[in-house]
Amino acid sequence: MMLSEEEFGVVALSLKVGLWAVAVSLPPAIAAAYVLARKRFAGKALLDAAIHLPLVLPPVVVGFLLLELFGRRGPIGALLEPLGIEFAFRWTGAALAAAIMGFPLMVRAIRLSIQAVDTRIELAARTLGASPLRVFLTVTLPLAWPGLVTGAILAFARALGEFGATITFVSNIPGETQTLPLAIYTFTQTPGYDAQVLRLSLLAVALSLVALALSEWLVRRTGATETAHA
Amino acid sequence: MLEVDVTLTQGGFRLDAVFAAQAPIVALFGRSGAGKSTLVNAIAGLVTPDRGRIAVEGRTLFDARSGIDLAPEDRRVGYVFQDALLFPHLTVRANLAYGERLTPPHERYVDRARVIELLDLQRLLDRRPSGLSGGERQRAAIGRALLASPRLLLMDEPLASLDAARKAEILAYVELLRDELRLPIVYVSHSLEEVTRLADHVVVIGEGRVLAEGALAAVMARPDMAMLAGRFEAGTVIEARVARVDEAHGLTTLAFDGGELVVPNLDALPGEPVRARVRARDVSIALTRPEGISIQNILEAKVTALASEYGAIVDVEMSVGGATLLARVTRKAVAELGLRPGLGVHALVKAVAIDRRSVGFA
Amino acid sequence: MRSLLAGLVIACALVAGPAARAETILVFAAASLREALDTTAKAYERTSGDKVTVSYAASNALARQIEAGAPAAIFISADTDWIDYVEKRGLTLAGSRRNLLGNDLVLVAPADSATALRIAPGFDLAAALRGRRLALADPQSVPAGRYAKAALVSLGGWSSVERRIAPAESVRAALAFVARGEAPLGIVYRTDALAEKAVRIVDTFPAGSHPPIVYPLVLLKGASPAARALATHLASPLARATWERFGFRMAP
Repeated sequence: MMLSEEEFGVVALSLKVGLWAVAVSLPPAIAAAYVLARKRFAGKALLDAAIHLPLVLPPVVVGFLLLELFGRRGPIGALLEPLGIEFAFRWTGAALAAAIMGFPLMVRAIRLSIQAVDTRIELAARTLGASPLRVFLTVTLPLAWPGLVTGAILAFARALGEFGATITFVSNIPGETQTLPLAIYTFTQTPGYDAQVLRLSLLAVALSLVALALSEWLVRRTGATETAHA
Repeated sequence: MLEVDVTLTQGGFRLDAVFAAQAPIVALFGRSGAGKSTLVNAIAGLVTPDRGRIAVEGRTLFDARSGIDLAPEDRRVGYVFQDALLFPHLTVRANLAYGERLTPPHERYVDRARVIELLDLQRLLDRRPSGLSGGERQRAAIGRALLASPRLLLMDEPLASLDAARKAEILAYVELLRDELRLPIVYVSHSLEEVTRLADHVVVIGEGRVLAEGALAAVMARPDMAMLAGRFEAGTVIEARVARVDEAHGLTTLAFDGGELVVPNLDALPGEPVRARVRARDVSIALTRPEGISIQNILEAKVTALASEYGAIVDVEMSVGGATLLARVTRKAVAELGLRPGLGVHALVKAVAIDRRSVGFA
Repeated sequence: MRSLLAGLVIACALVAGPAARAETILVFAAASLREALDTTAKAYERTSGDKVTVSYAASNALARQIEAGAPAAIFISADTDWIDYVEKRGLTLAGSRRNLLGNDLVLVAPADSATALRIAPGFDLAAALRGRRLALADPQSVPAGRYAKAALVSLGGWSSVERRIAPAESVRAALAFVARGEAPLGIVYRTDALAEKAVRIVDTFPAGSHPPIVYPLVLLKGASPAARALATHLASPLARATWERFGFRMAP
C-alpha cells in the first residue's frame, strides 16, 4: 500500500498535531489529576465537571467555544496574538482542538493511578528529607507511571481521530489543518475517491493499533516490577 | 533529650502528652489505640498538634506559641514504620540512598558500609522490596532511615507485622543499633516483652494522657501498671547483674538487691547489667522453704500488699530486698496460707519462666 | 337512547374530522433554506391545517438518506447534482421536478471592517486578504464552495488565492469565520449574509461568473396529495414575499 505524497502529508500532519497535543497537555493534566486526587477544596466538583466537558459536549460545540475564546477576537486569543501564538487556520489550532478533546481522558487515567499510590509511602519520603515537590517527582509520578502512559496514549488516539472541533475551529486546509479524519471526510464527500478513503481509513486503524500496542509495552516494561503499594 | 508537651485531637480522640526523656531508647508503651502512633507522627511532623511544644536535643521542632512548625523534611527525624513502606519502584540500594542523598554531606554521620554490615543488607542491595521477606524489608527500612543521618529515630511498632522468629531477629538488630550508634530512639510498642528488652526509659500512654514515665523497672513495679500491662502480662522487672555462668548446665545466675535469680540460656558475661521480667503467673508462694522441688529460684520475701482481685485470683505484691515481685495465686490460697501485708514468705520462680525474651540488657 | 347515540357519533365526527384531514408532511431541504422555509412552512400550517416537518442537512446527506428509504415527501436540494442522483435511482415522481429558488453569491467582510472591493474580471482579491485567509465552503465537497471556486476561476482570481483559503465544513461555518473576524473576507450566499448581523456584503458576484445557483424541488414516490399541495404552495406567489424577504429569488 503506497501512499501518494498528498496522503503522506496528511499522515505526517496528523502525527505532528497529535504528538504536540499530547506533549502540551501532559503537564497541566498531571497537575489537574494530582489536585483532584489528593486535594480537597471548595469548587473541586466544578473543576472536575469543567475538565470533563469536552467529553460530553458535541465536538462541534467545543469547536465553536474554541473559536469564541481563542479566535483572533477572543479573550485568550487576543492576549496570545502579540506573543506570536496564533491558532486561526493553523496546525496549532488543530493541536489545541485535539488537546482539549483528549484532556479529560488523560486526566482520568492519571488521576486513577495517582490515587492508587499509597500516601504513607509519600510521607515516608518526607521523613527522609524530601520536599513535597521532590516526593511528587521521585515517588508519586514513577509509581503512577502506568496511568501516565495510558492517559497519554488515549489522548493521542483521540487526537488522531478528532474531527468536529477541528473543522469548526480551524477549517479544512490541506497541509495545515487537514488531519487524517478531515481528509477522509473530504474524500467521502467527493465522488470517485473511494480508494483514498479506504487507504486512509486503514491507515487510521493501523496507527491506533500501533499506539495501543506501544502503551501496553510501555506499561508492562516498567509497571510489572512494581506495585503501587508497599 | 526529647521534650514533648502537646495536645492532639483526632476525630473524637484527645491526647495530652507531657514528658521529657533522656536515654538511648525511650519506649512509648500502651494499649492499641492509646494514641502512641499519633504522638510519634506529631514528633515526625506528619500531624500537627493543637498546642504545645516538641524539642529534640534543644532544637525546637514545634512550638504553637512562636508559630514554629518544621516541615517533616526539615526535622531530621528518622521514621521506621510498622510495614516498612519501602519504595516499591526502587531497589534496596536506591531505597537506602534516598535519604542519604538528601542529607548535606557535612551533616552525614552515618557510615553506609557500617549500616549495611550492621543490618546484614549486603545480599539484598540489588533486590526489589516486593521480593523480600518481612524481616528483610524491616531491616532495609531501618537502614534507609539511618542513612538519612537522623538526630532522632522513631520506630512505630516495627515488629508488629512480623512472625515470632523475625521479631527476635529484628529485636536483636535494634539492640545492636542502640549499643553501636548512640542514636536516640523512640520505640513505640504495645508489647511488654519488647519494651523490657530495649528500653531504659518508658512513657506509658493511656486514657488520653501520660499515665507514668520513668526508668523501666520503677514504672513496671507500680501496682497500677499491672492493670495496664494487661492481665496476662502483669509482672515486675528486676534490675540485676550477671554474677556467674554455669557452663555445664547452661544456666546464668543474676545477682540483685534481694538475692539471686537463675535463668537458662542467657548469652552474657559476668558483670553485665540486665533487666529481667518476671511474670506474676510464674511466681508461687510458700510459707516454708520447700524441699525436693524442681524450682530453682526460692527467694525470701515479705508480702507488702494484696493487689488486684479478679474473681478467684489475687495478685500478691512482695518485696524481695529492694526489688518487687508479683505473685498470682487463688483467693483460696491466700485464705489457706493466711497471706497478709507484713508476712514473711518464700517467693518461688521457675527458672525456665525467665526465658531469653524476658531479659534485656541495660 | 337513539338520540344519545346520534349525539355521540356527531361528536366523534366533529372531533375526528379535522384530525382525519390533517397530515404530517416530511420535507428534506438543504440547510441554507432553514430560516426562510421554516417561516413559510409555519404560515402554511396555519392555513392548511397540515403539519409540516422539515429536516435540514447537506444535500448529499439528504439524498443518501432518501436512497436508504427515508419517508420524505418533498426534497429541495441546493444544487442539481443531488436531484439528478435521486431521479436516476427512480425515487421521484415523474414530472414533479421544478426549479424553486435562485440565490446569489456574495463577498462578505466583518461588519466593522472598511474593506471596499469591486468584483470584476481580474480584481485583486489576494491583495485585499493582506496575508490572511479567505473563508468559503469546501470547494471539493460543498455546492457553495464549488460555485465560489467557479466564480473566482472565471474572474481570474482563483490561482492567486488558491493557497490562501480556509475551506469550511459548510457555508454557514464559512460565514461564522467572517462574523468572528477570523477571516477578513468570505464567499457565501446572499441569503446567509443577510441572516448574519456581524457581516456586511462587500459586493455581489455577477450571475454569469458561476453556474446558476438553483434550488430544485422534487416530489418523492409516495408523496400524498397534501404534499403535492405544499409543493405547489412553495412555488406560488403566496410564498414569494417570504422567499424574497430572506434574499432568495424565485425561479422563473
